Amino acid sequence: MKTVLEVKGLEKSYGKFDIVKGISFSIKEGEIFGLLGPNGAGKSTTINMITGVLAKDAGEIRILGKTLEEDWEYVKNNMNVSSAYFNLSGILTINQNLTVYAKLYNVKNAQPKIDKLLNDFELMTHKHKLAENLSSGQRTRLNLCKGLINEPKLLLLDEATIGLDPDIAEKTRRLILEYQKRTNCSILFTSHYMGEIEQMCDRIAFIGDGKIIKIDTVANLKKMIKKQQVEIDFIKNNKQLKDFFLEKDINIILEDDNRIVFEIDAHGDKLYRLMSSLFKRGHFVRDMHIKRPTLDDIFIKIARKK
Amino acid sequence: MKLYRVNALMLKYWYICMNRIDRWFDIFYWPLLDIVLWGFMTTYIKNISEFNLLSALLGGIILWMFVWRGGQDISLFVLEDFWSRNIYNTFTTPVKEVEIVISTIIFGFFRSLMSFVAMALLAFVMHGFNILTLPWGILAAIVPILMLFGWATGIFIAGLIFRFGQRVQIFAWSFVWILQPFSCVFYPLASLPFWAQPIAKALPTTHVFEALRAGLNGTPVQWGWIAYAVIATLTAHVVLTMFLASSLKSAKKKGLLTRYD
Repeated sequence: MKTVLEVKGLEKSYGKFDIVKGISFSIKEGEIFGLLGPNGAGKSTTINMITGVLAKDAGEIRILGKTLEEDWEYVKNNMNVSSAYFNLSGILTINQNLTVYAKLYNVKNAQPKIDKLLNDFELMTHKHKLAENLSSGQRTRLNLCKGLINEPKLLLLDEATIGLDPDIAEKTRRLILEYQKRTNCSILFTSHYMGEIEQMCDRIAFIGDGKIIKIDTVANLKKMIKKQQVEIDFIKNNKQLKDFFLEKDINIILEDDNRIVFEIDAHGDKLYRLMSSLFKRGHFVRDMHIKRPTLDDIFIKIARKK
Repeated sequence: MKLYRVNALMLKYWYICMNRIDRWFDIFYWPLLDIVLWGFMTTYIKNISEFNLLSALLGGIILWMFVWRGGQDISLFVLEDFWSRNIYNTFTTPVKEVEIVISTIIFGFFRSLMSFVAMALLAFVMHGFNILTLPWGILAAIVPILMLFGWATGIFIAGLIFRFGQRVQIFAWSFVWILQPFSCVFYPLASLPFWAQPIAKALPTTHVFEALRAGLNGTPVQWGWIAYAVIATLTAHVVLTMFLASSLKSAKKKGLLTRYD
């Protein structure tokens, strides 16, 4: 599979502050790759360097095999970016903004494409509204329309769904995924919504303190968290039940009336064997809740440098 | 450089003008107000002076507009992207710096022409001054120099904005007015104090307005100084374009184009 984006040894500092410290990763054709990390980790800085708006101090960025220095037109025309942090021109209408960007990317027969994007992102009724009069959610969707106007082979989405209500956010994610499937483009995705990252991304890179800490699939990353929390509401609590947990060397976090919260290995069959034993000994369960490891747990773990 | 991107940027400036009435104020309101104010003033003064003051002052005001418009248009259209936090998106496209400069110059040229026509018409209707009665040879020589010099100041201000950010935006409105007293727009070079004369002599605009007054008085035009003005303006263009390129490089290095505020 073709490599669409290749980042090698990327570095950036502002004065004494090192923001990005030798980041390397690559994205294959058709892959959705997530950049995840706490605020100030270097995610947006990395994206800004890929777009060429921010100069890198060291390293190499290749898009479709070429650097910006080698072929400016080819590289720039084959990528686009949608960032929640930046607006389109406020004193232009939605349609005017998209027309200008379509012309900058030399998009042929642009108006039908613009109309389709506006329909898809539910902005058609606001087509002639000035961008400065849009709500934050509408601005975010306009940014996404701009990001897709040239049908890029590499789409950079920096917090692209921030400020959207859950319904529109879900529709937007669906549209992005549909677009990705239709065009087989590659997407570099940053978000603070872990659920979104989990839903969208094939692979994730965790960034912390300007360095990549881990790159893997969501399933493999979840294995970083060894334990899961289980909450069981028993029909009846008694001393035998507590002894049972002690005997099995299970760490009880909370014991409250008939409810016991404990930690157990997240992977393997330890929970299954524990439950079988409980039933065999006549400890009946009224309700049960398993809190499996999520990307949030991994995010928090990395953010707190555990 | 791609022509379609220059066209796209000019289309954006056109949309800005269509959507914002204050952009038309730039073209008509202030220039016409100048003609009305200075016209009345000179009508009064000419009664106590033998010199063709009305022509010198109104000619100076109309022609200075080319410097003012040229300088302001480039910097204002650059600032427009900063104000709307769109500068990042502009620079993520394939657009090149030279295309931004060329598009603002072409668009500014048409805005200058509109201002010129409006000012010339009003000066003729209100004060009976016809700028086209000036010797055409002189006009053909000095108008391009003034336009080029105006664009050079615009490129300089754009360079300052890319280097220091919006905190220097005041120069977009004020810079050409700092140059005006030394450009001898309304008075001869000899009337400047001794210390100011070397500064005035270095400015191409001074020699242009000296030529204007010579044309009005029927005295010989110092073509050597006009040649100096051409060379100085072209040199300024080369140097200031390099300054703009260096400022953009600095902006990309310091992350000025990626700041949210």
